[in-house]
Amino acid sequence: MTPSASIAEKSASEMNPGLATGERVRSGAKPPFLGFGLGLRPQHYNDILDGDPPIDWFEVISENYMIPGGKPLQMLERIRERYPVVMHGVSLSIASTAAPDYEYLTGLRDLARRVEPKWVSDHLCWTGVHGKNLHDLMPIPYTRESLDHVVDRVQLVQDFLGREIVLENVSTYVQFANPEMTEWEFLTELSRRSGCWLLFDVNNVYVSAFNHGYDPYTFLEGIPRDRVVQFHMAGHTHMETHIVDTHDHPVCDEVWDLYAAALKRFGAVSTIIERDDHIPPLDELLVEVQKLRDIAAEVLPESGEARQMERGS
Amino acid sequence: MSDFQRLQDEFQRCIVSGDDSVLDKILDSPKEKRDVLFGVYRFAYSSRLVEALSNDHPFLHTYLGDEMFDEMGKAYVVAKPSHHPNLRWFSQGIPEFLRANKPYSDHPEIYELADLEKALNDVFDATDGDVLAIEEVAAVPPDSWNDLRFHPHSTARRFDLTSNAAAIWIALKNEETPPDAEVSGEPSRILVWRQDNTPMFRELTAEEGMMWDEAAAGIPFGVLCSMLATYDDPDSAAGRGAGYLRGWIESGLLSGISIGS
Ligand SMILES: [Fe+2]
Repeated sequence: MTPSASIAEKSASEMNPGLATGERVRSGAKPPFLGFGLGLRPQHYNDILDGDPPIDWFEVISENYMIPGGKPLQMLERIRERYPVVMHGVSLSIASTAAPDYEYLTGLRDLARRVEPKWVSDHLCWTGVHGKNLHDLMPIPYTRESLDHVVDRVQLVQDFLGREIVLENVSTYVQFANPEMTEWEFLTELSRRSGCWLLFDVNNVYVSAFNHGYDPYTFLEGIPRDRVVQFHMAGHTHMETHIVDTHDHPVCDEVWDLYAAALKRFGAVSTIIERDDHIPPLDELLVEVQKLRDIAAEVLPESGEARQMERGS
Repeated sequence: MSDFQRLQDEFQRCIVSGDDSVLDKILDSPKEKRDVLFGVYRFAYSSRLVEALSNDHPFLHTYLGDEMFDEMGKAYVVAKPSHHPNLRWFSQGIPEFLRANKPYSDHPEIYELADLEKALNDVFDATDGDVLAIEEVAAVPPDSWNDLRFHPHSTARRFDLTSNAAAIWIALKNEETPPDAEVSGEPSRILVWRQDNTPMFRELTAEEGMMWDEAAAGIPFGVLCSMLATYDDPDSAAGRGAGYLRGWIESGLLSGISIGS
C-alpha cells in the first residue's frame, strides 16, 4: 500500500476512516517517548489523585472503561487531566478469523475520542471464534497465510480507528507444527507491511523464549530498531519445565537484564510496570518504576531523552 | 475455510470441550510435553472465568463456600460461555442460571443473593444521570404540589425478594455469620441505586415501597398522598409522603421533577 500524503497531513480526528478513499491510514509518525509509567489499576486511584507520585504516564485497560458510566470513567477523566494516557486493550482479537466485531471497534473508537490517548494498543493474538470469547490471549501459527490475514485485519482496524495501532507480543505456551517463520520475523513483517507499531513486552519475550527453548536475545535482535514504541515489564510464575505469564510478581533479574539490552537496541522507549494480579500498594510498584529510570539512565547516559527520564526522581 | 481458520476452530473446541485432537498440530517443547503445555490454556480458560464470577459475586462465593462456588462456576462456564468481548458482562446470567439449575433453584436465598449482587454491579457503572437538588423542590409553589411528578435517578432499580437474602448480604458484608435462610409471605422490597459513585441498597416498608412504585410510574404527589391515606393514619398522609420524598432526595434517588401531566 502506498502511504498517502494527504492522509498523513491530517490529524486522526479529521479523518473519516474507512469511508472516503479506501486509502490506508499511514501517518508514519512515531508516537512520542513518554518516560516511565504504570498500568493504572483501580486499587491505586486515590493514592494517585491525592498524592503526586513520580509516574510519567499511565496505561489503562480499554475494556475497563468501555462501560456506560460511573466511577471508573470519572477517575479516568481526572487521571487524564494530569497525566498522558495510553489505551491498552485485551479483546481486539486482531488475529481472529471470525468476522470483525464492529460493535467492539465502535466502543473502542468512542473511548479513544473521549480519552485522546497517545496511542491504542492490543495483543498479537486471537481471543475466540464463532461468537465465543475465551478471554485469553491465544497463540497463532507463524505462517504466510496467518500473516496475510493479520496484516489485512490490522489495516482494517487502523482505517476504522483513524490511527495506527500498537501490537504486543504475548507469552505463549505452545508452538504450532510447521512454522514458516519465527515470531520475531512475523512481528517485523507485520509492522513493516501494516504500519502498526510494536509493544515489546520484555517479560513475554523471556517467558516465550524459555517455553520454546530459544534465546530471548535472538528475539530481541530480530526486532527492527525503529518500530518499538513501548515496553512492558512484568513478573511471572516459574513451573520448572515452563513459565506461566501471571503478571502477578515483581520483575525478575533475568527480565531486568533483558530490559537493559532492549534499551541498548531500541534507545529510550516509553515503559510501564504492568501488574495484573496480586496488586501491591502503589509504593511497592513505584520502586520498580524507579528501577526502570535508573537502568535507563545507566544504559543511555548520553541521550537527551535520558535526561528527561530523570524527571520525577 | 483456510488452514488458519480450521486451526482456530479446533484449538478453541479443544479448550472448551476437553477434546485433544489439536495436540497433533502442536509441538513438544525441549522440556515439556505438548499436552501439559496445551493444558495451561485449558486451565486458564475456566479458572479465569470462574475468578471473574467470584469478583462479581463475592458474597455468593462466601455463602456457597469455595468448593460449591467453583463447581457452580465451572458448570456456568460450560452452560453459558462468554459471547461478549468485555469480561464485565460475563456474570450477567448468574441469577437466571441459579434459578434454572438444581440444587441452587431449591434455595431462593441463593439466587436472590445473586440478584442483589448483580443489581449492585449494574448500578456501579450504569449511565450517569442528574441528581435532583432539594432547592429545586423547595422552589415549587404550594399550589403546584398536587401536580408534582418525580423522576427516579437513572441508576435506580426496584425489585422484590421472597427470602431474607438482603439480611444475608448485610451479615456477609459485616463478616458475620449469616442468618438461617428464610422465605416469608411478605416480600422484601429492595431499592438499589448509586449515590456519589457508591452502589447502595435499601429495604422499603410496604408503604414507602408502594409510594416509590407509584411515583416512578408517574403518579403525581396529590394522588400519592391519597394512596398513603389508605395505608395508615389519613391525617398524617401528606406529612409521611413529604418525609419519604425528603429521604429520596437526600439519598440522590431522584433525577428531577415536573409539574402537570
Ligand atoms: Fe504485556
